[in-house]
Amino acid sequence: MTPPTILIVEDDPALRTLTARALQENGFAVKLANAAPEMWQALEVGQIDLILLDIMLPGTSGIDLCRQIRQKNAVPIIFISAKGSEVDRVVGLELGADDYLAKPFGTRELVARIRAVLRRGGLENAPGEREAGILGFDGWTANLPRRELMSPSGAQVELTGAEFDLLVAFLDNAQRVVARERLIELSRARIGDSSDRSIDVLVSRLRRKLSGAGGAAPIVTVRGVGYMLNVPVERR
Amino acid sequence: MIRPSVGLLGRIVAILLLAVTIEFAVSTYLYERASHVSVRDDEARRLAEHLIVARRVLNERPAFERPEVAEELTTDRYIVSWSSVAPPRPTIAPAMDSMRRQIVDWEPSLAATDIHLRLTSPGRTSVVSGDLRLDDGSLLSFRMREGVRTLDLAFGRVLLALIPAIALMLLSGALIGRILHPLRTLARAADTLGRGQGGGKGAALLVPERGPGEVRHVTRAFNRMQARIGRLIDERTRALAAVGHDLRTPLARLRLRADAIRDDDVREAIGRDIEEMEAMVSSLMAFLGGEGDVEQPELTDLAILCANLADDAADHGRDVRYVGPDHFDCRLRRFGMKRALTNLVENALHYGEHAIITLRTDPGDDVRIRVEDDGPGIPEESLELVLEPFVRLDTARRRDTVGFGLGLSIVARVVAAEGGVLTLANRAEGGLCAEIRLPHCRT
Repeated sequence: MTPPTILIVEDDPALRTLTARALQENGFAVKLANAAPEMWQALEVGQIDLILLDIMLPGTSGIDLCRQIRQKNAVPIIFISAKGSEVDRVVGLELGADDYLAKPFGTRELVARIRAVLRRGGLENAPGEREAGILGFDGWTANLPRRELMSPSGAQVELTGAEFDLLVAFLDNAQRVVARERLIELSRARIGDSSDRSIDVLVSRLRRKLSGAGGAAPIVTVRGVGYMLNVPVERR
Repeated sequence: MIRPSVGLLGRIVAILLLAVTIEFAVSTYLYERASHVSVRDDEARRLAEHLIVARRVLNERPAFERPEVAEELTTDRYIVSWSSVAPPRPTIAPAMDSMRRQIVDWEPSLAATDIHLRLTSPGRTSVVSGDLRLDDGSLLSFRMREGVRTLDLAFGRVLLALIPAIALMLLSGALIGRILHPLRTLARAADTLGRGQGGGKGAALLVPERGPGEVRHVTRAFNRMQARIGRLIDERTRALAAVGHDLRTPLARLRLRADAIRDDDVREAIGRDIEEMEAMVSSLMAFLGGEGDVEQPELTDLAILCANLADDAADHGRDVRYVGPDHFDCRLRRFGMKRALTNLVENALHYGEHAIITLRTDPGDDVRIRVEDDGPGIPEESLELVLEPFVRLDTARRRDTVGFGLGLSIVARVVAAEGGVLTLANRAEGGLCAEIRLPHCRT
């Protein structure tokens, strides 16, 4: 199997080289671009599995670039930004980036994020379709691109990254039992949070958050197998 | 303290009032005098003629006929009566002396009759009455039926003249108020300058140049000053933001380079240093607004926000508990509030071992979020001080304080943006209690 090819778009030469080396050491093939023109060239020449895109580029900004790429291509994008703010993260994700990484990042975190995005992309039949995904279930609204959850009352409900991934797994398999092993695998794909909590803790937290004023969360335990979201999901 | 002042408007109105009063008094005096003379001349002539006739007729009649004759002499203008003995004369009003002179001037023969005039007030109006002696020493009394209305007229005129004067005062008050309006606008603008309202960092709120020349000058000068201050703040913010961003790229390089270090201890130590530097850059950015975010309030589940902080800390092996409702919707800037609460929890865990986040949403009370720890607390005299930016109480506390000492300043700023209050207090059982009260976030 050929290693996935990562295109690094970064204007700082030293950081570009260091990132490339870190990825190569972890078994990725790497292509480099210092700005927009080189990036377009690289995209035309060969197969790219994922783009690491710096938001602050000379010339065209990473945000504009992301929009342009999305018009032509469904290739997964991870934003790299020197701005660490939440608002920035949301804007990036809204524009169609698959993940967002703030400078400075470590090798472990970088590699894990890339693997998670690649795996997520692999799980999806059509990545482009998910990008615009706003899913409704039991009065709740999950905005997948922004990774936000809105309660039936219209309030933003804060989910951790792991909890959101778990929710997405349930939403993708609505009204089907999801095996514990599958969920564990999924939660391992998620990193950045170096915690060792079990999948059961995650599920119970998600349940607590999804519990409404009236009733329990729509996630049921299937003894010995796993968990199930027992309400239909509608795509909007 | 500013000495209470009448204000420009009050002063101008006072001056106007004085001017109008003086003008009014003077003109009234002149007018009154002229009318006195003309009315009396005419009146005096008639009265004199009537008195001459009455005196002549009464003189010719015997005493017993005189009361009847006097009655006949009574016209619809004058009441005439006769008495043989003189009643005591009341004190004579000075104004009547001039009328007497007028009468005597017209009919000099009356001068010899010891004529006296006086002003009496049987009812509400004053009437002129008087008496004179007949040849045999008996007394002819007379009284004008119609009251002398000069005094009442004067009073009416005062009122009449006062109405336009009052209207004039009100009108000029309104006009002066209009003139002073730009000055008040200016004062308000100056008052709000630098409060950072509307999320503007140095965003100048230009005051329209209106009103009299002097006020325009002041306004223009103020606007220019405001623009200068705005530019300075913007430049400073941009410069520091650029420094922050530019620092993160070398930090990122350092981080990746550090990953190549074989020695685990050294690598981890460098990793911690980098994390600390990153935390400092982040807090500086957050404090200076260098990230350029203007967040809008949105409906947020505050209970879950708080519970998440406890979960996060628990995942990292720390003991943080959340006590409060499962759900509580309110309207606030959630990323800002998350940052503030994160700072409080980090602070609590830095100085203490355990922390409790309490959310209280009692109806009729402000929404309260408390973060309590079991650390050493803060000396009472420094409770206010630690809210100031760049203040650290290293002397009294552990030396390994992370960051610039901006944590609590950022919290205070976020809470202020929500219209809330942050208070720090030492708990009776030891440790610090940071309380955020949000009066306006309820939906």
